[in-house]
Amino acid sequence: MKIVVVGAGQVGSTIVEALHGEHDLTVIDTVRDRLEPLAYRYDLRTIEANGASRRAIQQAGTSGADLFIACTSRDEVNLVACSFARVEGPRATIVIRTSNVEYIDLWREGRLDVDFAVSSELETAHAVARSIGMPSARQTDSFADGQVQIVEFEIPQGADPAVVGRPLRDAPIPDDSRVLAIIRETSLTLPGGEDVIREGDRIVVIGSPSAARTWGGLLAPGEGVVEDVVVFGGGQVGTAIARTLAEQGIGVRVIEPVLERAREIAEQLPRCRIYNATGIDPDFLERERIGRAQAAVFAMKEDAKNHYAATLARVHGVRFTIAVVHDTISTEVYELSGVDVTINPRAVTAEEIVRFAHDPRTQQVAMLEGNRYEVLDITTQPTSEYVGLRFSDMPIRGALIGAIVRDGRAVFPHSDEVLQAGDRVIVFTERARVADVEKVL
Amino acid sequence: MSPYRAARIGERARLGIDLAGALGLTGTLLAYLSLSSLLPAAAAVGYGEPFWPFLAAGAAAGGVGLGLARLGRRRAAGPIGFREGYLVVSLTWLLAAVYASLPYLFSDEAQLSRPVDAFFEGMSGFSTTGATVVTDVESLDRSILLWRQLSQWLGGMGIIVLALAVLPRLRIGGRQMFESELPGPEVDQLAERIRDTARRLWFLYIGLTIVLIGALLFVGVSGLDDDLTPFQAVGNALSTMPLGGFATENRSLEGFAPVTQWIVAAFMALAGLNFALLYRTLVRRDPRALARDEEARLYGLLLVLGSILLFAEIVDKGLFSGEEAVRQAFFQATSLMTGTGFAITDYVSWPTLALMAMIGLMFVGASAGSPTGSVKIVRHLLVGRLLRRELRQTIHPELVIPIRLNGRPVEERTLRAVLAFVVMYIGIFIVGAALLAIDARFGRVQLGITDAVAASAGTLGNVGPGLGFAGPMGSYAPFSDFSKIVMALLMWIGRLELLPVLVLLTRNYWRV
Repeated sequence: MKIVVVGAGQVGSTIVEALHGEHDLTVIDTVRDRLEPLAYRYDLRTIEANGASRRAIQQAGTSGADLFIACTSRDEVNLVACSFARVEGPRATIVIRTSNVEYIDLWREGRLDVDFAVSSELETAHAVARSIGMPSARQTDSFADGQVQIVEFEIPQGADPAVVGRPLRDAPIPDDSRVLAIIRETSLTLPGGEDVIREGDRIVVIGSPSAARTWGGLLAPGEGVVEDVVVFGGGQVGTAIARTLAEQGIGVRVIEPVLERAREIAEQLPRCRIYNATGIDPDFLERERIGRAQAAVFAMKEDAKNHYAATLARVHGVRFTIAVVHDTISTEVYELSGVDVTINPRAVTAEEIVRFAHDPRTQQVAMLEGNRYEVLDITTQPTSEYVGLRFSDMPIRGALIGAIVRDGRAVFPHSDEVLQAGDRVIVFTERARVADVEKVL
Repeated sequence: MSPYRAARIGERARLGIDLAGALGLTGTLLAYLSLSSLLPAAAAVGYGEPFWPFLAAGAAAGGVGLGLARLGRRRAAGPIGFREGYLVVSLTWLLAAVYASLPYLFSDEAQLSRPVDAFFEGMSGFSTTGATVVTDVESLDRSILLWRQLSQWLGGMGIIVLALAVLPRLRIGGRQMFESELPGPEVDQLAERIRDTARRLWFLYIGLTIVLIGALLFVGVSGLDDDLTPFQAVGNALSTMPLGGFATENRSLEGFAPVTQWIVAAFMALAGLNFALLYRTLVRRDPRALARDEEARLYGLLLVLGSILLFAEIVDKGLFSGEEAVRQAFFQATSLMTGTGFAITDYVSWPTLALMAMIGLMFVGASAGSPTGSVKIVRHLLVGRLLRRELRQTIHPELVIPIRLNGRPVEERTLRAVLAFVVMYIGIFIVGAALLAIDARFGRVQLGITDAVAASAGTLGNVGPGLGFAGPMGSYAPFSDFSKIVMALLMWIGRLELLPVLVLLTRNYWRV
């Protein structure tokens, strides 16, 4: 597939990393320093030009491209690039990254002439909302309009001994769910009935939302429904997070240090309580009982501030902390100091965009464990050799079918279920085998 | 350069406003307003009464107006400015009251022959207060009576709003004058051009007046109310729509049939709604515009609560029962809350709790954007929310809480203005009541404490009747001249919502 990517920042390079090798890539950026590392590491073409210029878009071979991705950090550049791409590349699927929710709404109304619009802020907010829904989860992805969830859990001390420490075939695993993978240290196994989950492992579970919640309860007993979340930082990301959580009926408090901005978001978010405070003032944290919050989200612009505020919040008693990462390296720093979940807006955005590069039949992908594994959502073709086979008879080739969506309803198949043509299949696989899996199905 | 010229240049530089321009515009407005004397003059001809007092008043006002306009035209350049607007509005209303008093003076009517009485009556008319110094209304000439009612009707929607609606190219720049005349903290815009907004408001106002006249004429002609003559129907309709309160009878509306009283009560309640909202509801057929509006909802709620309170009190004391008790309670509550001042019984003798409730209702007012006076519902609503926010912030000092009206955040500046308005309103009310009490002490007028309070609240709030001898069936005639002037000024200040008048009293206004 021929793909043009405008923007070689963090989102652009994450996309390139995920797509190189299988596809023919051209990357446009104005800054040579961003292009060169990509050009040295991967096999792709780079063009040093403004993405909002028609000539650059012609030069990149947009006329023959299958996919056009505008993912600079500037909405206006992306918009102009996309409208040129629409003219120059009649065959191309066009994906735009935007930070403005208004553009997303415009696209949903069908008035923005692009095929897909992705917002970092919204994707981040959804990621936060998913992990707050399940405090013990490291990462959560939804498929098939939320009917299927894939959750990565960390097994803490004190998890229910019914599922931990005994063979899976004997464990009372919740209905409508399945363990897709057990990750121990750095090795991953696709488990059979005799495998055992241990404390300190990480496991990937697929299941219905209610089964996923049951898993959350089994693995982290005593953590009830979240009612009070504090969001530090009322920028675009923080506001999107607060809005998404409030829409789920969660009580949200937002802490924003700039008075003008605090007023603005107080007007935008009538259901949230907005404080004008720094968030690192112990008196304030004490007076407002921030420590009683069930979760805190750190969405300020600087990672160092997020780090400090998160640590302070833990000191005050917040048990579950989620931090937004802007620099990739910060992830490790956060995790080392005990932040429970880290979310990288750019990685989340890239993940969302990459799914358009897969087979057009593929509806959605999630990336787990830093891109080593992917979850695919593929519609089976009648010609597939797997159609008509029982699940127990399918040869394992480093991939596992976790769920199928048949007539719009999610089914979590038993071993004697038969795969039918037209089923949407949710598959867990290593990244290297993505192309194989797509071919087979 | 002579020292004389230097002094003159120095003097002129110190004056910060375009006085000639402001006077010129005031003159133009007055000249146009003087045309309104033709209507009662025509009526006088029809009734065979002397018509020359109206023509003389019109000629005088027209002459002064044209003279001022010429003065302004000589020096005028461009539209009138933001600062001059306050002077124009205040002065126009003051001169309008003087103009309204001229026919009273020129006619040989003994009850209004003294200039102070005539001025009081004129200001009471244009400010839609409805407080009167006339003791025997029924003895007035019909043309004088009509002029009295007409002055209220003209003042109801506003002289300047009228001028904007009908006059070609008035030298009015912004919407600030429009806003300072139309009651309420914010003006709802019905059209892109202020002139179209003004036209729509007047269109609705005239339309509703015609409907009311039609309804009352029907009641009178069909025999449902034998006491209602066509003249009374027109006269009381001209007083109901602007929420005025001048009646054509000595005993207000007491003598009319229940059906008439119900119709008037319903139209008082209707006229107390925001006219811009009414326009959306009635003309643009959007009934939810009214139902969703927070001010309109609180207005309805307070009307009902006020009525229930009065109802309980008068039924408990055995004054009325059945339909009559409901009618009395609803009519009186609506009349006082909207600032009309009609009465269907002499409530001066009602029990204390009922009287207190009635004085309280005088401070409520009706919706902003209606011809009402007083504080107005929306300000009460906002002050209530401000106080609630203050309480919340006592516990959570860092909490940022925007105050919303109909879901939209209200600017802090507006909130401050609202709070300042309420404080100033109460302050002026207290000063007014004190002046009346002091003057009564020296003038040997029997004025009880509630009477002084009610007279001050009634005139500042453009309600009309007070209590005691100034009650709904009585008259303000016993007050001294000084008190009458104080009350006329209160009406003036109250009608223009304090600010345009008070700002003229500051030294800053006149300086550069």
